[in-house]
Amino acid sequence: MAVAREVSVQLMVNGAPRTATVPARTLLVHFLRDELRLTGTHVGCDTTQCGACTVALDGVAVKSCTVLAAQADGHEVTTIEGLTGQPGAGRGDSALHPVQQAFQDEHALQCGYCTPGMVMAVRQLLADQPRPTEDEVRHALAGNICRCTGYQNIVAAVLRAANSEG
Amino acid sequence: MFPADFAYARARSLDEALDLLDEAAAADEEVKLIAGGQSLLPMMKLRLAAPQVLIDIADLPELKRGGFYGRSHTIGALTTYRQLARQRSVAQAGTPALVHGATSLVTEAPALGDALAVLADPQVRARGTIGGAVAHGDPAADLPAVLLALDAEVVIAARPGRHQHKSSSQHLARRRRQSEKPSNVERQAMLLDDFLQGIYATDLAEDEIITHVRITIPGAGASAYEKFPHPASHLPLAGVAVVVTFKSGTLTDENGRVTPLDDGTIAHAAIAVTGISPRPYRARAAEAVLKDAFPTADTLAAAAAQVTRTLDGAELSLLGDQHASAPYRAHLAEVLTRRALARAIARADAP
Repeated sequence: MAVAREVSVQLMVNGAPRTATVPARTLLVHFLRDELRLTGTHVGCDTTQCGACTVALDGVAVKSCTVLAAQADGHEVTTIEGLTGQPGAGRGDSALHPVQQAFQDEHALQCGYCTPGMVMAVRQLLADQPRPTEDEVRHALAGNICRCTGYQNIVAAVLRAANSEG
Repeated sequence: MFPADFAYARARSLDEALDLLDEAAAADEEVKLIAGGQSLLPMMKLRLAAPQVLIDIADLPELKRGGFYGRSHTIGALTTYRQLARQRSVAQAGTPALVHGATSLVTEAPALGDALAVLADPQVRARGTIGGAVAHGDPAADLPAVLLALDAEVVIAARPGRHQHKSSSQHLARRRRQSEKPSNVERQAMLLDDFLQGIYATDLAEDEIITHVRITIPGAGASAYEKFPHPASHLPLAGVAVVVTFKSGTLTDENGRVTPLDDGTIAHAAIAVTGISPRPYRARAAEAVLKDAFPTADTLAAAAAQVTRTLDGAELSLLGDQHASAPYRAHLAEVLTRRALARAIARADAP
């Protein structure tokens, strides 16, 4: 195998196979936004700190600004757009995921920029720990920054989502 | 923000990865290995690193397999922090935990669990690997401090005969005897303490790949890791890992009288410090204070006071930057040493 500046990537995104040839240096977040037009995943700090770009890679929350599209070749990605209609979401394609619904119910967003990443991080937290304490919620969101500083309602939404699920 | 342009290949085997390293060297191109990329990609985006060739080793099966033999755990270099925190270990009677399903590596070595809970954030911990943590040589990395305190060894693969590391190859010899086909890959183990050299500098050559990290879970004792994190980066302004081993067993004299040795004195303490010097280091002067000592608050404080000194009493050369001066980091290290020792000892006392 030889090294190449252009790489062909094949991955499952929100359940659908996607293929593209991109420069090797393309970051997963830009691949999702620019190639696939899935703009729900946001670029915030661009330095692996804010978590706005959080997606699930093979089911585990990661920061897509710090993953190469080439590294995701052969893997599965779920973005915020893929949460509705997934197991756990309510009836119908447009129904919100329980975490999204809890964010709406608790008004857990102000400007909304951090929200997709927050929701994807919270999905991971509740998958790992279905009944977290408030302390555990705050600790688990260490990788997500809300510059409106609206953490109080975000934490309330996580606890609501935890209690609404089974 | 993009990394500078580079050529990429994902290797399918250790053999292929070593070939790719040689090809890049032959073309006189700067090459980097990437696994999780949680330290390398941020540096590449900031153009602090600009390798011309990136070899993705995330799929190498040889770097995924691990195992344990007695108290010795061999951890695949590709094991992520997230996996490490969930890794099963040996159960009480040496029975594989997969049968018992009870204990985990982090309950056997709680300092590991301490570090894995405060290291970066959950998303980074899902990608970052133990091999990357030691290969990166970051002076402010959390995990190397814990690994140093656990006397970790790094297992390195290369083409045979190219490099000679200080080796303690007892377990490797066993593995070599078991392997059937002759291999074009040579593995050597060296102490992490010898492997780490300076700021982002290690003993890893350009044509070598870390395959495993090996730790030995201490017997009668306990461990802890304490850090003072930078609030934005989560990196430790100072971090201290300790492993305390207590005296155990009995002594029988010539008259057949049996004296129990588990009187609560410390047999040995390992103390490793990160974030304050060019590389994480073992605080041997502080360790010497605790040898054969009973752990009173005064003893722990006396040991902590030596944490930035060498065995012959000289003050270590420490790093300071815009976030914290060297004297402040030294102060933090002393306080954190006291706390980590107290925490470890409290854990040993707990039933």
